[in-house]
Amino acid sequence: MALLPRSSRTRRRGADGDRMWTWLMLPGTLWMTGFLIASLVLVAVLAVGTTDDLGNPRFGFDLAGVRALADPAYTEVLARSLGYALLTCVICLLIAYPVAYTIALHGGRYKHALIAAVVVPFFANYLVRMYGWSVVLSDDGPVLRALRAVGLADGGTKILNTGAGVVAGLVYGFVVFMIIPLYAALERLDVSLIEAGRDLYGGPVRTFFFVTLPATRQGAAAGLVLVFLPAMGDFVSAQLMGGPDQIMIGNLIQDKFFQGQNWPLGSALTMLLMLVLLVGMFGYLRRTRKDEAEARR
Amino acid sequence: MTLLRLPSSTAPARPAARTRTRRGRADRRPRILIALTGLFFALLYLPIAVVALFSFNSKKSLTVFGGFSLRWYRAFVHDDVLISSLGTSLRISLVAMAGSVVLGVALALGLVRCRTRLGSLAGLIMLVPLVTPEIVTGVASMLLFKGLGVALSTGTVMLSEITFSISYVTVILRSRVAALNPEVEEAAMDLGATRWQAVRLVTLPALLPAVLASAVLIFALVFDDFVLAYFTTGVDPQPLSVRIYSAIRFGLQPTINAVGTLMLAGSICLIALALFIPRLFGRRGGLDILSGE
Repeated sequence: MALLPRSSRTRRRGADGDRMWTWLMLPGTLWMTGFLIASLVLVAVLAVGTTDDLGNPRFGFDLAGVRALADPAYTEVLARSLGYALLTCVICLLIAYPVAYTIALHGGRYKHALIAAVVVPFFANYLVRMYGWSVVLSDDGPVLRALRAVGLADGGTKILNTGAGVVAGLVYGFVVFMIIPLYAALERLDVSLIEAGRDLYGGPVRTFFFVTLPATRQGAAAGLVLVFLPAMGDFVSAQLMGGPDQIMIGNLIQDKFFQGQNWPLGSALTMLLMLVLLVGMFGYLRRTRKDEAEARR
Repeated sequence: MTLLRLPSSTAPARPAARTRTRRGRADRRPRILIALTGLFFALLYLPIAVVALFSFNSKKSLTVFGGFSLRWYRAFVHDDVLISSLGTSLRISLVAMAGSVVLGVALALGLVRCRTRLGSLAGLIMLVPLVTPEIVTGVASMLLFKGLGVALSTGTVMLSEITFSISYVTVILRSRVAALNPEVEEAAMDLGATRWQAVRLVTLPALLPAVLASAVLIFALVFDDFVLAYFTTGVDPQPLSVRIYSAIRFGLQPTINAVGTLMLAGSICLIALALFIPRLFGRRGGLDILSGE
């Protein structure tokens, strides 16, 4: 075997290897195709299906579920969900940027500990965190009490059961998804670039807008997508922090599958949600492609 | 020769540059930024602190602290429904961890090394759970089981949790596999090992820290997962987070503060463990030989 020329030996091994790597890949891929891809197709099929008298899903071709989406009651919820999710993205960006910037550029040797301190609570139980957040934002909670003490709120100001409460919940739930990519981008940032900006008599504000911000644009774009995806599909925040007038598309879907028992409509709503997210994803991918092409030029 | 001398000739310039950097940073003194970051951390931990504090409340109130007591922890230990839910959640997490680690590690190995078209297709499929919101995957899994006529139970939760954990394991492991030097496997084969022996005796031991870390992470993620479990669980027994959800929704019991505190403490320990495992192996040394660095 050692006498074989190296090239043919590697070539044979390459083909051999591909076969083995394929066998290794197969179980996981088949599992995911069977459980995930097939089930997503099923949602699409059921969106045009019907239900029998017992509420069991029946396959067929009936556009009742899809047509119901045009109902103003549903378009209003969709518009509200989009508004909340986009607002959440903007607020997350405004919060995450200074935090990531401070940790990445001024964290010193505590940098890693600080970023771990941001990530760890995110892994703690989402429901318990949201429930704690709703207690904090309640009428007698510390936030409103502090705001009243400094005169920024009066006795009638409420956060819970308003749209602000829902957005506050979404921000609290997903802000970490914005901090991580921004932190990664800021950490990679060459500090001498900022200094060059200074040396060229750019003030801190101009340096920030012409040097720092453009250099971290991709991190911000990734963060926006990572926040938008879960925020758009969330139903816990609207349930715990909002009232009946603040429901989001996630609450509608949950309702159609559990209380309403209208599965075709629920499936149609799920497909609508997926569609919105896919549009967002494609927008992001096109943007990054363009950025990469520009960078190469 | 000139190339060799170049670093030493630039060396004296370096300390000057460094002092300038330090001075530049010092006179910026970003007090506002530091204050904002402090406020962020305060608000990040406040809800967790509130839950933990009121779990020790002797009163039933969620706003007035009446004194220290373990009464809600005692109530939790004696609550048979919650205890059986805890067992269910632990079982689900263990099964999902084992299943997804085995499938995910194999998938990561295959994805990195396989250059066929099937490989890139598998890479795409692997990404789907990461870009799909949980409610969609939850609805889809539930419909699949209903469509196949399978009654929802603890088993269906396990199957769906495995499906969505595979991607996490694969993402974590993929970069580690890519960092390994394939020539070491080649060397093992030159010494007479079969390809499979090379993977088993050379590659897998090198991946052990990352495998253990991802296993701990998956355990914590599945244990805390709510949305997927909510859509795929049967009526009885339900996972703990589904029980917590109903409790939060229909009138609060302070017992939930105690359960929540225990869960928060548990996942924080697990995440710290997951972050610590690779370091543990790194210190002992020897296992990082295979990494590309």
